[in-house]
Amino acid sequence: MNDMRLIERAVDMDDIKISARDVQVYYGDNHAIKDVNVDIQDKTVTAFIGPSGCGKSTFLRCLNRMNDTIDICRVEGDIHLDGEDINDKRVDPVQLRAKVGMVFQKPNPFPKSIYDNVAYGPKIHGMAKNKAELDEIVERALRRGAIWDEVKDRLDAPGTGLSGGQQQRLCIARAVATEPEVLLMDEPCSALDPIATAQVEELIDELRQNYSVVIVTHSMQQAARVSQKTAFFHLGNLVEYDETGKIFTNPEDERTESYITGRIG
Amino acid sequence: MNQEHISSAFDRDLEAIQALMVKMGGLVEAAILDGSKAVTTRDVELAEKVRKGDKVIDDLEERINEEAARTIALRAPVSSDLRVVLSVLKLSASLERIGDYARNLAKRTEVLAELRPVSGPDKALKRMAKEVQRMLKDTLDAYVRRDAALAEDVRQRDEEVDEMYNALFREFLTFMMEDPRNITACMHLHFIAKNVERMGDLVTNMAEQVIYVVTGEMPDDGRPKSDETAFISGET
Repeated sequence: MNDMRLIERAVDMDDIKISARDVQVYYGDNHAIKDVNVDIQDKTVTAFIGPSGCGKSTFLRCLNRMNDTIDICRVEGDIHLDGEDINDKRVDPVQLRAKVGMVFQKPNPFPKSIYDNVAYGPKIHGMAKNKAELDEIVERALRRGAIWDEVKDRLDAPGTGLSGGQQQRLCIARAVATEPEVLLMDEPCSALDPIATAQVEELIDELRQNYSVVIVTHSMQQAARVSQKTAFFHLGNLVEYDETGKIFTNPEDERTESYITGRIG
Repeated sequence: MNQEHISSAFDRDLEAIQALMVKMGGLVEAAILDGSKAVTTRDVELAEKVRKGDKVIDDLEERINEEAARTIALRAPVSSDLRVVLSVLKLSASLERIGDYARNLAKRTEVLAELRPVSGPDKALKRMAKEVQRMLKDTLDAYVRRDAALAEDVRQRDEEVDEMYNALFREFLTFMMEDPRNITACMHLHFIAKNVERMGDLVTNMAEQVIYVVTGEMPDDGRPKSDETAFISGET
């Protein structure tokens, strides 16, 4: 087992970035997430897979308190980011979301220029002292989003005028512009064609150098391709969480096996 | 995993490649028995039949390779499904090699028929081939029934085949020392015994593949080995 990728994985998987303990989520009376315990590692891509309604997106949204915006939603349990409780009253959700960025299923650029889409976050967080610094931040973010070369000559053009794949990479650039530590992605490729998907996947692998990435995906092949760790959710439970290669070659749980092999389960 | 896939065509694909492999296994079993019978009875006609039959076995292996590649490309199998496809590839490769050894038995029959008879070892050779055929049958049964215990049993039984080979090796030495006119026939018979012993090793590898299919892990603990002929000098 001297495969370079395996060594790379072993080295990368030391530090725990997010630690969740006994997490419960209720939508009114509906118990959507049950006793989830998970440690998400730094500089690692973690994939959440599972059938529709299994709770994977709900759990993902707990990680940057996006569920706060839903009135009937109640979250219990402890979620720690770098050892700090993110649900503590003193934590400002806006600051938290600057640290824990998010990319959604449908590309949702602001109806502004490409430049302003990326500059928006750094501006409200006061990350740039002047225009030159802001330009630098925007360029760096667009480069990390692997879209700089395609848009550098038309930064004033509206972000909504880009193709779907470009829009999604713009949204990723926007998410990384605030220098987050964790990037949450909720089905980032489901609206993209295979080429754009491959570009985003390549980008996710590059982002892993700097961030902890958590991706929810319906495509098991995508989970297998991009992630180092995979968590399988079923009916609100975290059924199995392990190294991705293990999950896709020899999972421990029958339910995981049934799901990944495309059987009724 | 007895549950069916949501895609029934995927089930049909997997069943098809496994059926091809099991069919190939049946032909190889027959080739072992016919090959050893041809040798021990110096039946040149039967030998010819075995040689021709090997072509069918080879064609089946090629077909399995194509179907397995197709399944991998189109279905992207994972976990237990992936193990099925991988194991079918490996099992059919082993079967093809065993078929080649059986053909080699048949080829030597034609030479042996021209030589002065050395009849002593015939019974032992036949017994040895019969045991290897039984091991193969059990391995294929274990595969179909997903029975890791039976496969493990086959693995352990290879030791007996090794011991039979050791005994034959000594016997051939004795015959050759007794009368140098036996040397040509005994050399051929020795190769035949060695080939049957190699068949046993391949069946053992196949049994390990069956364990892999069932459990997801290759057995890593040692199994008994008894081929001592590398240490026999004949100077006693």
